[in-house]
Amino acid sequence: MRRRLDTRRLTQYGVVVLVAVTLNFLLPRLMPGNPLVLIAGVDVGLLSPDERAEIVARVGLDAPLWKQYLRYWGDIFTGDFGYSFRSSRPIVDMIWDRLPWTLLITGLSLIVSAVAGVTLGAISAWRRGTKTDLGMLSGMISIESLPSFWLGMLLISIFAVQWGILPSSHAVTPASGLVGWAHVWDIASHAILPVVTLSILATPGVYMTMRYSMLETLGEDYIRTARAKGAGERRVLFGHVARNTIAPVVTVLALRIGFAFGGTVIVETVFTYPGLGRLVFEAVSGRDYPVMQAAFLVFTAAVLAANLAADLLYPLIDPRTRTS
Amino acid sequence: MSLANPVVRGRGRSRRMRNLFALLTVLSLVAFACGDGGEDTSAEEVTAAQAQAAAAQSEAAAAQSEAASAQAEAESAAEALAQAQADLEAAQAAAASAMEGDEASQSALAAAQAALEEAEQRAAATAEASEEALAAAESALAEAEQMLDEAMMEQEAAAGPVTVRAAITGDEATLNPYTYISGFPGWNLLMLQYDSLMQLDADGIPQPWLADTVSVNADLTEYSFTLVEGVTWHDGQPLTAHDVDFSVDYYINNVEASRFARDLRGVEALVVTGDYSATFVLSRPNAGFELAALADVPIIPRHVWEGVELPSEHDFGPTNIGTGPYKLVEYVEGQSYRFEANPDYFRGAPAVGELVVIVYADDAGAQAAIRTGEVDVIFERVPPEQIPLLDAQDPLDIALGPEFTTQMINYDASKRPFDDLAVRQAINLAMNRQDIVDTVFLGAATVGSPGWIHPEHRSYNPSMIPVYDPAAANALLDEAGYPDSDGDGVREFDGQPMSFEIITNAPDSLRLRIAELTVEMLAEIGIETSVAAVETGTWEQAVWPGFDVNNGRNYDIAMWGWSAPVQADPLRLPQLVASVPAGGFLNLTGYASAEMDALSAALPVESTEAGRIAILLRMQEIIAEELPFVLLLYPDGAYVYDSSVYSDWEFIAGQGIVSKLSLLPPSARP
Repeated sequence: MRRRLDTRRLTQYGVVVLVAVTLNFLLPRLMPGNPLVLIAGVDVGLLSPDERAEIVARVGLDAPLWKQYLRYWGDIFTGDFGYSFRSSRPIVDMIWDRLPWTLLITGLSLIVSAVAGVTLGAISAWRRGTKTDLGMLSGMISIESLPSFWLGMLLISIFAVQWGILPSSHAVTPASGLVGWAHVWDIASHAILPVVTLSILATPGVYMTMRYSMLETLGEDYIRTARAKGAGERRVLFGHVARNTIAPVVTVLALRIGFAFGGTVIVETVFTYPGLGRLVFEAVSGRDYPVMQAAFLVFTAAVLAANLAADLLYPLIDPRTRTS
Repeated sequence: MSLANPVVRGRGRSRRMRNLFALLTVLSLVAFACGDGGEDTSAEEVTAAQAQAAAAQSEAAAAQSEAASAQAEAESAAEALAQAQADLEAAQAAAASAMEGDEASQSALAAAQAALEEAEQRAAATAEASEEALAAAESALAEAEQMLDEAMMEQEAAAGPVTVRAAITGDEATLNPYTYISGFPGWNLLMLQYDSLMQLDADGIPQPWLADTVSVNADLTEYSFTLVEGVTWHDGQPLTAHDVDFSVDYYINNVEASRFARDLRGVEALVVTGDYSATFVLSRPNAGFELAALADVPIIPRHVWEGVELPSEHDFGPTNIGTGPYKLVEYVEGQSYRFEANPDYFRGAPAVGELVVIVYADDAGAQAAIRTGEVDVIFERVPPEQIPLLDAQDPLDIALGPEFTTQMINYDASKRPFDDLAVRQAINLAMNRQDIVDTVFLGAATVGSPGWIHPEHRSYNPSMIPVYDPAAANALLDEAGYPDSDGDGVREFDGQPMSFEIITNAPDSLRLRIAELTVEMLAEIGIETSVAAVETGTWEQAVWPGFDVNNGRNYDIAMWGWSAPVQADPLRLPQLVASVPAGGFLNLTGYASAEMDALSAALPVESTEAGRIAILLRMQEIIAEELPFVLLLYPDGAYVYDSSVYSDWEFIAGQGIVSKLSLLPPSARP
């Protein structure tokens, strides 16, 4: 009975993957600037033509564009993305080093923003038109317009510089040699500010969706029916309204998982947090093509996987969409 | 439709929701566990280190309290004696007040009382006797001071070598000669682990280092050296001339190009004459070989590097093997480095026992870290507006000194109207350098010499004086035939308005400010300009397409700057000002002059230092007269450090504080 991924849908995903991978390949190469300076350093001007040619050939940039493009597809299927121009490390290792940190802070911030957004959205809609609702609504709109780097720096200057109660950067205290619970607390204390920043920025989106979706539900006939049959306010809220509101919110959350990765670029840079976002920032500023290609691919995969998850989850949550 | 059988459906839904939440919980737990596994330090090692640290700490605490009590004693004794010295009444008053205070320690009271009684007795006897008391008091004071010094030295020794935490703003990879990333501070960190045959001293002059002696023949083609004997690699193997031979050969012949291969260009052979002596034979005379090669190229161990074909991708194991004062014992990509002192270093054990270098994403992050005490020094220059703010915070201090980086105006001197000397001279006269230094750099820069070389540099021509005279600049342009015929405030050349774009790189905010001031200053002489602030890659492509001067130029006016090495070695001056075919690899303005080309050819083969200086003085005169570019200023180097942790930083002229010299005891520095 469940709606399956039909051929049309699979074709859609295929086209999206093709376009995304092609863009991932082309974007770095369309940017102005030259990776040569990264590889050769300050003395790039002193390179002889032979040395230039040698460097370009060693990193595979001498091949025609279509060959480089095919090689990228080869990389995707073999899972070996070669070496970074910048650090000369295997790129797969770099991504595996960084991915857990990004998952940690995006995962926690998704949970925090989901709980906060759903709760506040529900309260707001329940008290529609009151001062509470209007105050929350305007507060959320203001928060949504905050630049993420500004918010991050504000939190650093308050909690790290002024009060000195939380570290300003990194995921662990460098070279501290901490073990056991001290190590866990070290990781947690370093994650707090980035998670708070990401959560604050992600909450308004969830809040808005929750609020509007709930307002819509509150106007439905079956709510009136529930009240008419004498159900208490609590029972109406949790038994009837919340359940019917959850579907669009879950969709928004699933989509957010994809976007959350993108949001880490700036936040991880502000907090010098060693996740994928910072890796992308470093790679882009250094024109590290292979790292950019691989990291963009991870982002692409995250967005697509989140979409797919939303597609698959929706019928589970909302029986109305389970059409045969 | 949705009302159908709500109860049954509801139950199914809540079960699925529970499953969903369970899944989320598991996912986040997994993420947490992955994050936890990032370190690979073994627990035993850490426990042992912790125990050691705790022992050292308690020892240090004991010594500290000892020293503190000694200090308190000495201070109170000194105080009491000084007071006794002054006169009897004052001493009595002091003793009385000291006795009143509850907090005054008993020893202080006793000392004060003893001194007081002694002084009283003597003063009461005769004037002669009181003079004797004075002398006694003075000697006692000297003794107390000496005791205090000794106590402090003991405390330092008991506390063990200090740990310094430094901030940098970019990862430098695994820091071997083929993987380090930036020329500064990457090369500087690389050289903490490795040594070169020579080492710059505080004046920026190469001095023998791994080499005991360096001598050169009369025509500058043979550099002979003997090695210090008994130097060992970090793994205990001895360093010999064969390692030097191997290093030179490796850098020159490896398929991967490196800075060190370029340093060694022109080396025909290295003739090994013994286990500890060898001679470089050059294909042509090179007066700059000591600075450019001997003091720059890290010597690598033959027994480790032999057989390594692609060094940048080779796995050298947990640590790099060098001869340097530090071993890299831990590297977490993108986050931190931990260096441990090499106690057997041939110039003496370093004063800093452990150096932790922490990577921050940007200046702001590094500055926040030194304010919170997360780091003790920043290994990058502090921007001018931050200098007074950081300096005002206790215990932060600023090490300030001359540096050889530059801020300048480039123009395309190969095309109209900049091919006209009068236009270039007018631009030079229109620039108020002092104003830029004061307003943009808040004084933390040195006014630029029109002859390029920094006034603190040993090759500086002191007759180079920048002149700011817009009236003279206007007269020059009037005379040269650039009138403002339509009266719109903008002059014309060849029937077009003198209106240009000044291209600069947006991320460099100071350079952007200079560009904005330049617009105002050029408007004074009837040249209209606007600033195009673009991304760094775009800017480089316009000014220096493909980083190859043979590709020409795509700009009219550009703000530009060179890193310190370009100026530090004055023998690189020809690269900037010789015409392109004559070796002007860095000549980005298309300037060409026959005399400059001749001097450029003569400079590296001139055999005497005096002769080279004479050529450099003349080249500066020509630059100031013909203006291949307009040099505006040299930003001063400013480094912030926590003086309560470590303060013995050595500022190498033109290069800053990031070097092994800063971390070695003063006695081991050249």
